[in-house]
Amino acid sequence: MSNLEEILEKRRVSRRRFLNVAGTGAGAVAVMTLAEGCSGHDSSPTTPTNPTTPPTPALTDADILNFALNLEYLEAEFYLRAVSGSGLSTDDAGSSAGAVTGGTQVTFKTPAIKQYAMEIANDELAHVRFLRKALGSTAVSRPAIDLTNSFNAAAAAAGIGPTFNPFADENSFIVGAFVFEDVGVTAYHGAAGLLTDKKNLAAAAGILATEAYHAGEIRTLLTQLDVPYITYANQISALRAKAGGGAETTLTASAVVAADSNSISYSRTTDQVLHIVYLNATAGVVKSGGFFPNGLNGTITASAT
Amino acid sequence: MSHEENTENLALLEEKRSSRRSAILMGSAALAGLALGRTAFAQSATVSDTDIFNFALNLEYLEAQFYTIATTGKTLDQAGVSIKGGDGSAGGTVTVKANAAVPFTTPLLQKFAAEIAMDEQNHVKFLQSQLGGSAVAQPPIDLMNSFNALAQAAGLGPAFDPFANETNFLLGAFIFEDVGVTAYQGAAGLLTDKTHLDKAVGIHNVEAYHAASIRTRIFQAGSDAQAASQAIAAARAQLSGAATPDDVGVGVKEGAATIVDNDDNGMTFARSTSQVLNIVYGGGPAGSGGAFFPKAMNGTIK
Repeated sequence: MSNLEEILEKRRVSRRRFLNVAGTGAGAVAVMTLAEGCSGHDSSPTTPTNPTTPPTPALTDADILNFALNLEYLEAEFYLRAVSGSGLSTDDAGSSAGAVTGGTQVTFKTPAIKQYAMEIANDELAHVRFLRKALGSTAVSRPAIDLTNSFNAAAAAAGIGPTFNPFADENSFIVGAFVFEDVGVTAYHGAAGLLTDKKNLAAAAGILATEAYHAGEIRTLLTQLDVPYITYANQISALRAKAGGGAETTLTASAVVAADSNSISYSRTTDQVLHIVYLNATAGVVKSGGFFPNGLNGTITASAT
Repeated sequence: MSHEENTENLALLEEKRSSRRSAILMGSAALAGLALGRTAFAQSATVSDTDIFNFALNLEYLEAQFYTIATTGKTLDQAGVSIKGGDGSAGGTVTVKANAAVPFTTPLLQKFAAEIAMDEQNHVKFLQSQLGGSAVAQPPIDLMNSFNALAQAAGLGPAFDPFANETNFLLGAFIFEDVGVTAYQGAAGLLTDKTHLDKAVGIHNVEAYHAASIRTRIFQAGSDAQAASQAIAAARAQLSGAATPDDVGVGVKEGAATIVDNDDNGMTFARSTSQVLNIVYGGGPAGSGGAFFPKAMNGTIK
């Protein structure tokens, strides 16, 4: 079983540290650079950040589902624009939808990759529609979304380069998809424990597993692409851990699944997810930035810690 | 979305089943129970978290045996993973062909297979540790006649050896992984303890990662492998007895791949424990078992 032990050890080594980010920076990128040297504590596989403790005491299921809806708007815009050049319709984005910056049709050279992208776009659109329908009149509209400056800032902060266009070609698209998918899995994992209604839990579990399928698919494709794309992905992975906290598994041919040493997937609190999508590692209250230049819509919009 | 199993008119349900059944070449032996032996739809009223975790442990034993044997040629206990119950009761036998290690030729796939083997072993060990003295021993498991019977049910021929080559290994793995996802999804709603729910969701995700990677590789293996996966998915849907088909094979539909096994709402399917038993027993009767668990599962849900 030596090869299994080797894999296990790689996962242990690859597990990221939570960073207690102090200090204040002028911008997200500067903050992340400063955060490099900060001390942290190891994230133990048996003591993950407790996802069952709500950041505020009075979160309703509608708050949680609206939080998820914001993330689905982001994913849907990314994938729909990648496959078709246009995003959500007015009906799907809500009556007071924010603007979307960037996002152009990818020139897919490999039919299979276009077919993968089409499927994920369909799924994310279905998630938007399902959540909007489930929430009814309490559904938030799409917030303003940035798919240009966000990726550039993420690339710079991750050390990939000054700019990154995930719509430039099909391989860059896969890296762009990687930015979102594992975050969705950890976000839904954390949210599942906060939901009180069993029906909502069942719906969340169904969406969550679909996100895990997407993540597993994207991670598989990246191991097949190899360098430099797998390197970019791992730089993004490190950035996610740095910006939001929460554990990550460095992607290798022997570590396709993102999971802890018990082979259980990671979880993130809403605070951790907000720090990631706002691309801001500064501890404390963060209200906007990164992929959501004006912040999320709904109740859960600002990090508490 | 979970399917409402009790609301459908039973006559209509039987009609649907019959029409689906006729579309598939049926096997004879292990699947003889298919028409008559389907378990009652009503979920047992009171199942404890321990019951559910033990149900999951049975499935994890099955998966861990399959991947451990496929990657090393050794059974779980030979590989140093206990299959004993928490009370010390002995584990059951494993029926499998001799020298079953898969002759891998693709390093990326071989490494991934080893990773899944590790994950499933970890799930076995994790659930055993959570359950402590209540953990069930591994029941008898069949990894030979089961696959042959399922291949017949799926119309894939009289025999199927998932250890013969890489493509067969992928299809063998495919049989389990999506079932695992649906089982954990169904189980999540039954758990009462939030910590248990959190762990179950975490395992659920890992099974979905596995399923996606396996399905992506089946997609890449070409049209024959895709067609086989579709036949297996149809057989699973039929065995499960769900009111509407609850399974999607790997392929292309309206320009989009079908890597994810989910519905039109972008949601993976949930299966009740009875539906899962219908599949892993190959339609064999509840309490008696069949196919992968020829003597039924161990524990309360069996």
